Amino acid sequence: MSGQPSLWWIDWRLSRPPLVRETIGRFLFFCLLGFALLSLLLSGGVRRFLSDRYTITAVLRAEVPSAEAEGLARKVAALPPVRSAAYRDPEAAWKEFLRAYPGLDPLRGAGGNPLPGYIELRIRPDRLTGADVDLVVSALRSVPHVEQVLAGEEGLPRLLRAGRLASWVCWGIFGAFFAGFFLVGRLQERARAVALAGDFAFLAERGVPAGRLAFLRAAAAAVSGFLLAAAGTAAGGGALFLSLRKFPFLEGVIGSPSDLLLPRTAAAVALFSCGAALLSAAASLLGWRAARSGPE
Amino acid sequence: MTRGTRRILSALLAAVVSLGILFPTAAPAARDVAGELRKERGRLLEMKEREEKTALELTEALRKEKLSKGRVGELQARLKRQRSLLSRIDRKVSVLNERLERAEKAVRELEAAHGQARTDLQRAEVVAFAGQRTGAGDPWYPSARERERHFMRLYLAADAEGVARITRARERKAEELSGLERQVAVTERKRTREKKVGDTLLSRQEEERRRLADIEREKKRKEKELKSLRAKIARMESVVSRVERQVKERERRARKGAAGGSAAREPAEAPRRFASLSGGLSAPLTGKIVTRFGRQHDTTFDVTIENRGVEIEAPSGASVKSVGQGEVAFAGAVSGFGNVLIVQHGGGLFSVYGRLETFLVKQGEAVKKGTVVGSLPGSPSGKSVLYLELRAGGTAIDPTSAIPLDR
Repeated sequence: MSGQPSLWWIDWRLSRPPLVRETIGRFLFFCLLGFALLSLLLSGGVRRFLSDRYTITAVLRAEVPSAEAEGLARKVAALPPVRSAAYRDPEAAWKEFLRAYPGLDPLRGAGGNPLPGYIELRIRPDRLTGADVDLVVSALRSVPHVEQVLAGEEGLPRLLRAGRLASWVCWGIFGAFFAGFFLVGRLQERARAVALAGDFAFLAERGVPAGRLAFLRAAAAAVSGFLLAAAGTAAGGGALFLSLRKFPFLEGVIGSPSDLLLPRTAAAVALFSCGAALLSAAASLLGWRAARSGPE
Repeated sequence: MTRGTRRILSALLAAVVSLGILFPTAAPAARDVAGELRKERGRLLEMKEREEKTALELTEALRKEKLSKGRVGELQARLKRQRSLLSRIDRKVSVLNERLERAEKAVRELEAAHGQARTDLQRAEVVAFAGQRTGAGDPWYPSARERERHFMRLYLAADAEGVARITRARERKAEELSGLERQVAVTERKRTREKKVGDTLLSRQEEERRRLADIEREKKRKEKELKSLRAKIARMESVVSRVERQVKERERRARKGAAGGSAAREPAEAPRRFASLSGGLSAPLTGKIVTRFGRQHDTTFDVTIENRGVEIEAPSGASVKSVGQGEVAFAGAVSGFGNVLIVQHGGGLFSVYGRLETFLVKQGEAVKKGTVVGSLPGSPSGKSVLYLELRAGGTAIDPTSAIPLDR
């Protein structure tokens, strides 16, 4: 030690109470952002929601035996874009149909079941694109057992467009909140720099370069930002995990809780934390600069 | 030929037969016999002409009968075919009626099924429409809704196909029904037509049968007549030839008898000779004389007949007794007299009993006065006739002059 006081965490030493408040506020904010980030990561925006609602129906020919139909369903499930494929025999199809149109039940007492069996396919959320749907549909149409493929092709582009738009909106909101964090952080940094201007002038008179001071303050802000983002995201992830466990229906919209532990999720969280650190540092520098340049 | 004519001919024949076959008689006036002979020859010729005519008529009747029988046979065959055809048509009508009933029932059932199917389809369409309007199914699952709409289309198509199938089946059945009705109508018309033809054939057959019966009756009548004529002609020819011989014989005798007149006295003595028979004479039965002895004139036919005996009418089956003691000289059938019995009383005296039914004595058997020798035949009228002739020395005498008989 040179005997000179350390400039690390100078703000923490000079203005502790407001900084504690700011830190708590930022942590809570990162909790929310982390929750939103993880939700968006897991759900892919609204893609998971859409992929859960969107199915492709391969209507089989009436004469296809159940065993062959089930074998076909297994083969179709092996296609890369397909998340799941389930065979429904004619009886099940008839029951589903009657649930949708209960008034028809007594009308076909003698006529029997006119419906064939079918295979219902769901697409992976990340593969829910026009190209992948076309791939699956063309593969199904080449199968002789398949009478007709119902892929909602008329409405699919519109649906995908709406999904993309919704995803952009979600990410946009997220980005706006992140940007808001930056702006608020900058204002807070400036206000603190103004409040501590006398102290910083004193230090400058004693030979501490202003640039070094600004750098060290930015570095401390980055470290605290990284840590707060990581902690907040972890807390938000925990809350999401608990929410998904408590409310299983959310899985259809967001995804499985186990996906939270995937490396890509961790990487995304790390990246987010780094981003938060950078924004925190930038906010510190910009606040310093704004304070030095005088009142705005 | 009338009954009177037959009786006259019988009497004539009897006289001639008794004259020719059994007893050579003393000739009456030769001129009368010659005249009778000429008459008989004329009658014979007339009968022969009648015979020819009757034979021709019979031939014609036979030809007609053959033709009529042929026609009846042909009509019978046609009637048989007609009946067979009618039977086939009846069976066909029966089968067609059964098919018609089945088709009508099927059409009724199909109409009911069609109505039900149409109602179901309409209700399904209403349900489908309501589903489209209200968005049946989960609106958060558009794919599921698309599938359900597709299935609804399949459902409606299946229902519509069901209705169309029933409609087609109903139309086919209705067409079949219509065809069957046409067939039934055609068959009924054919049946009526064939029945009319059959009735016509039947009436023609009946008419032909009646005609055939008439022809057969005519034929039988002609045959009988012809047979009778031929028999009479044969007898008459025989008689005529014998009479001719007798005439010649009488002429010969007359020439011989011109020398003495003992023979002329014989008829006057004959009744006394019969009366002198041992035990006398009695009537053969109780009855009424219906034909007298001697020359009799028949006003109906304008002929003169010479009877050699008498005919006594008595109840049918009455017993005939011998008029006196003697021996049966002959018992047998003689043409024109039926069963004839002759009793020889001795001394050239004979009694002849004709038209008997039975003989109760045999030839050569001795009989006494009153011995039952036979009986008269039965008759629907309850009356029969006995021919009685008495002969003395080959000459017939009037039986009433020797035997007390009711006149």
